[in-house]
Amino acid sequence: MAKAKALDRRRKSIRSIRKITRTMELISTAQFRKAMDRAVAVSAYAKRIVALVGHLTTAGLEVKHPLLEAHAETSNAALLVLSANRGLCGGYNGSVLRHGMSQLKQLRATVPEVRLEVSGKRGISAFRFRKIEIAERFTQFDNKPTFAEVEVLANRYLEWYQSGRLDRLDVVYTKFESLGRQYAVVETLLPLAQLDGAGQNGNHDENPNSPHIQYEFLPSAASIVDEVVPASFKVKLFKCFLDAAVSEQIARRVAMKNATENADSMIGSLSIAYNRARQGQITGELLEIVGGAEALNK
Amino acid sequence: MAELQCIVVTPEQTVRETLADFVTVTLFDGEIGIGPGHTPFIGRLGCGEMRIRHGNESERFYVEGGFVEVVGNVVSLLTNRAIPADKIDEKAAYQQMETARNQAAHTPELMAAREQAVAQGRAQLRVVRRAIG
Repeated sequence: MAKAKALDRRRKSIRSIRKITRTMELISTAQFRKAMDRAVAVSAYAKRIVALVGHLTTAGLEVKHPLLEAHAETSNAALLVLSANRGLCGGYNGSVLRHGMSQLKQLRATVPEVRLEVSGKRGISAFRFRKIEIAERFTQFDNKPTFAEVEVLANRYLEWYQSGRLDRLDVVYTKFESLGRQYAVVETLLPLAQLDGAGQNGNHDENPNSPHIQYEFLPSAASIVDEVVPASFKVKLFKCFLDAAVSEQIARRVAMKNATENADSMIGSLSIAYNRARQGQITGELLEIVGGAEALNK
Repeated sequence: MAELQCIVVTPEQTVRETLADFVTVTLFDGEIGIGPGHTPFIGRLGCGEMRIRHGNESERFYVEGGFVEVVGNVVSLLTNRAIPADKIDEKAAYQQMETARNQAAHTPELMAAREQAVAQGRAQLRVVRRAIG
């Protein structure tokens, strides 16, 4: 009896775990949809910025901005690691942190002053566990980072870069390429190597055959550039956050889907074992009764 | 008569994509009206009201910074924030303006930031108060 009961108890607990993982899978599917919509929106915005820069260069304007130029000496670097606030999302946090660690080591070897900034509770606790000092930690960027929040961060970096307190900014995040492919990457956001769209003579225009349009600039082309460059940096940073959010949801969905499937197969094999044990027990009891009756008859 | 196509995008969403007869936006130094057949231009936006008129209907937004690009009857706005006029939080805008105004600013950068915050709050209030009438 004991064996069958124990098996049944295990099966019950696995069933309730399965309920949880299945719910989490559904939740992350819904959240993934939302995050995906936002990611699509930001890429629409980014595309327009690129087109705008293209038009500026078509107008024969050289795009020059302090943000585009690397500082002569890199003595202050910042590394921003975007991890998740929550676990249970497979290898998502692990791979971001692995990239973050190696990049940090590399930076520390070449740059005297490296500032580590981490977003997400998982990343924070991982670095704390390794006794690595974190200069700034964020937990407010959950699965819905808003532009206003990211902009505050972006403005700070921009100000530091322009005042010389920062010479380089690297971001470690999980890039979303497609539904089936997300991977951790290290991207250098400052100095902005080149403005996307610049130097392509505006050929990426929606209609490449269109004659060059003469634009009027209000107030002036230079002032537009002054505004476009920070805007494109902000959008890039925002895109990193959104990509990370989308990838997290995908990773969680996949992990939870696997967990649910594993629970299913475990429930199946436990059911078989349980039935067998129960049957064996019944057979044993029958044998006992039959044996007892036989003994009485003699 | 030709119609304008008006697209308003923020980094978070495409706020509005619509046809229009006439669009008014606030540039860095004042309002500009854009009708069909406007010469191509790229302009810097200030913070202020944007009006889209189509037929007898008119929509109003509060827009904060960014760019406007006009080419071939397409008006596209790239902006950080675009809020429909009736969704603006009047109290929050007022609060923002007041806190900014009371902040001490010792450096030119801080002064500029303060000026900007005040201007943003003021522009929002202007938009929302016009909406109420």
